[in-house]
Amino acid sequence: MELVGTVVVLVIKSVIFILGMFLGAAYLTLLERKFAGHVQQRPGPLHVGPHGFLQPIADALKVLTKEDLVPDNVDKVLFYLASLMAFVPAIMILAVVPFGDPFTIFGVEIKPYITDINVGLLLALAFGSISIYGVIFAGWASNSKYPMIGGLRKAAVLIGYEVALGFALVGPIMMAGSFSLREIVEAQQNIWFIIPNILAFVVVIFCVLAETGRTPFDVQEAEAELVGGYVTEYTGMKFGLFPLAEWYIATFVLSAITVILFFGGWNPIPFLGWLPIPAFVWFFLKVFLLFMFFLWVHWTLPRYRVDQITELAWKVMLPLALANIFIVAIWIIIFG
Amino acid sequence: MELSTTGFWVFSTLAVLSAFGVVFFRNIIYAVLSLISTLIMVSGLFFTMGAELIGALQILIYAVAIVVFYVLVISTVPEFKGKAFEPKYMIVSLPVGFLIFIELAFVSLYGAWKSNTGIFTSEVIQEVGNVKAVATMLFTKYLFPFEVASLILLVAMIGAIILGKKEHVIDEEAEN
Repeated sequence: MELVGTVVVLVIKSVIFILGMFLGAAYLTLLERKFAGHVQQRPGPLHVGPHGFLQPIADALKVLTKEDLVPDNVDKVLFYLASLMAFVPAIMILAVVPFGDPFTIFGVEIKPYITDINVGLLLALAFGSISIYGVIFAGWASNSKYPMIGGLRKAAVLIGYEVALGFALVGPIMMAGSFSLREIVEAQQNIWFIIPNILAFVVVIFCVLAETGRTPFDVQEAEAELVGGYVTEYTGMKFGLFPLAEWYIATFVLSAITVILFFGGWNPIPFLGWLPIPAFVWFFLKVFLLFMFFLWVHWTLPRYRVDQITELAWKVMLPLALANIFIVAIWIIIFG
Repeated sequence: MELSTTGFWVFSTLAVLSAFGVVFFRNIIYAVLSLISTLIMVSGLFFTMGAELIGALQILIYAVAIVVFYVLVISTVPEFKGKAFEPKYMIVSLPVGFLIFIELAFVSLYGAWKSNTGIFTSEVIQEVGNVKAVATMLFTKYLFPFEVASLILLVAMIGAIILGKKEHVIDEEAEN
């Protein structure tokens, strides 16, 4: 009975999280297209629904009903599997991201997270890096030059930035004394961890951009050189899954983790704690602002060269992350 | 049936099946894919036993950081070069493989017999969590071996950098 109860609650929660994420991601595409439009001084989608509001639904219908071409010489099993391998780990990070403290409605305690495991941050890092296989295998299975080069480029980028990201996360972990994302938020009630960890925050911003393949790090699908990179041979929904996973779900989830690590999670903004705004809203407001920051970077900066990216990862970001650990250690010794 | 028992059977079945895949797939990309699957399933086994730290590190280090280099090498080598196989090597590989199997079996049996003699009982670990228990041991009792291991890794890294460094060829035409 205990087994059935746990499984049912988990399944319901997971379905809510995944459906929410899908709908959210659909409207994040509209947000991105509108934003990109205004950055480039054009209106963006306008015609489907009032002010283009139904565009994501039209997009989804279009992608789903497109003819699903599979080239003759691809490795069919891996070709299908790769799109899932890129998509599923991005969704799985949601399992460890908490969206607030437990609260009670009608006498039932509701926990707005799937699991509060005490190595949550490590697991988020692990799932984030597993999605690298989707990209490499997509490149290999396509049996074509451009996807192969795109996949290998992405692998080189990810290997470099995963290391820097891992070291950058050490700072907040040291301050909170825990890997649990919920405990990290609770440790920030008085002062946000951005204060001594500013270097780590800079490193994390670069790593999130690199890991989600947004400009200036989108060498894996640099359309001027590689046609479409590792997605060149994909069509229809299989094609749609890659940008959905990387550009929207991964960016959103990694923004949420960054907010939890550096901006106090669902704690209110300093000096505004007296406002009658629920913790939930504070959290999504911060995540939204950070997401918009990533969009802003994406649509204004040009792309790095491949060698510049790896050089930046190993020669600048890694030393910065290590310096941050040193600074935080001194901070902890002085301020306890 | 409890959740952890169900989890154990699911994960261990899948781990064994994928291990068969590693050995028997003719296509090496599929073999590597099965290896990733095995490692992730073993990490699932760690989770069902309450060793979350090792489980998470297993995914992060083995399933990603190490295997990704196998994948990079294998996926860039043309398939016909991977087919060279000479049965005469079996004379060496069979006995060596058997020895390693004996060693692993001995270590696992020894570990099962020895497991309850550490200073942390399972109640204490429930209380303080995996991470703190490991850190306490690592930075008190085993501090010296830990530092020595990190020094060896540092030396190995410097060695690898020196070995991999190419002679710097100055392209005179490019400079002019």
